[in-house]
Amino acid sequence: MAALFAVLGSIESSALSTWLRESPSLLAFPLMLSVHAIGMGLAAGINAAVALRVLGVAPAVPLDGMQPFLRVMWAGFWMNAASGIALLIAYPTKALTNPDFYLKLTLIALALASVRALDRRVFRTSAAREAALEPVVRRLAIASLTCWAGAIIAGRLLAYTYTQLLASWR
Amino acid sequence: MTLVTLQAWLVRTFARGTVAAAFMRTHWGWPAAESVHFIGLSLLFGTIVVWDLRLLGVGKRIPLAALHVLLRWTGIGFALSAGSGVMFLMTEPTEYIYNPSFHFKMVCLAIAGVNALAFYATGYGRAVTHGAPEVAPRNAKLFAVISLLAWLGVIVFGRLLTFYRPAWCDEKPTTVVARCVPSRSQQ
Repeated sequence: MAALFAVLGSIESSALSTWLRESPSLLAFPLMLSVHAIGMGLAAGINAAVALRVLGVAPAVPLDGMQPFLRVMWAGFWMNAASGIALLIAYPTKALTNPDFYLKLTLIALALASVRALDRRVFRTSAAREAALEPVVRRLAIASLTCWAGAIIAGRLLAYTYTQLLASWR
Repeated sequence: MTLVTLQAWLVRTFARGTVAAAFMRTHWGWPAAESVHFIGLSLLFGTIVVWDLRLLGVGKRIPLAALHVLLRWTGIGFALSAGSGVMFLMTEPTEYIYNPSFHFKMVCLAIAGVNALAFYATGYGRAVTHGAPEVAPRNAKLFAVISLLAWLGVIVFGRLLTFYRPAWCDEKPTTVVARCVPSRSQQ
């Protein structure tokens, strides 16, 4: 445990971490938070749009026509992976000592796995037809929606459930 | 009525939501409303991005009329975010009404709203939903760009709220819009 906090403490005292956390510049913490919110909207939101289509909303939309939007969804995810790492560098102890953080990562991984499976089965096959869709496809759509909603809630709760803010404050 | 007196009136009006405020002050009240706000944001923004990008030419194989049905979920997302947003206002009205970032957020929201109304009022909405063309009218792309920028502004200024928390005013506000919290005698 002491070794872990030594590592967390050394991340926190790095120039990058200090700048991200303490700089009054809007390009530091505020920009990272903003990018994280936009990426969330793109990743979870476009996931919702394609999952709703699979579940029967807007049935006249051709299933394989949604493919280009999945690329935008993944762009949102990568925006969040990058901004998320920056936020983690700013407050490594706050996140990594909170079980809720691991719950959030797990839910995101499950959501992404669901949407990838959905992509392979539905959006990449030009012959994909409504009637021929396996029941598992609906379940994958519901799983991706549920996991993203859970990930967003777990993410919000990070601000309320942490027990240690900085390793140097122990 | 000046904007500063409008602000004071808004604070008094939102402060009447005492039941909502009591819920928000329970242990999980505020984070629950935040979660709803962010889930609503995702639904709203994700579906509007799909629509606006389609107007701009992404995913051209999708008939516009077919995709338009999805916008119902944009409305559901908006209702979730607006509903939870009003809860925040009822609980801490001065934190928002005097926050410059909130002012910019509301301006962006108004632009998004007027832009959406204009899209339908000018006939583009009708052309898209009833004529069902494969290619959006050229000018429809302008609506799409304005919509995307306005919603990005709503998200960014929403996220920046906490960095512009208003302090108490030292003296009676002389600006058009107050960016500090006036005491009762200063209003």
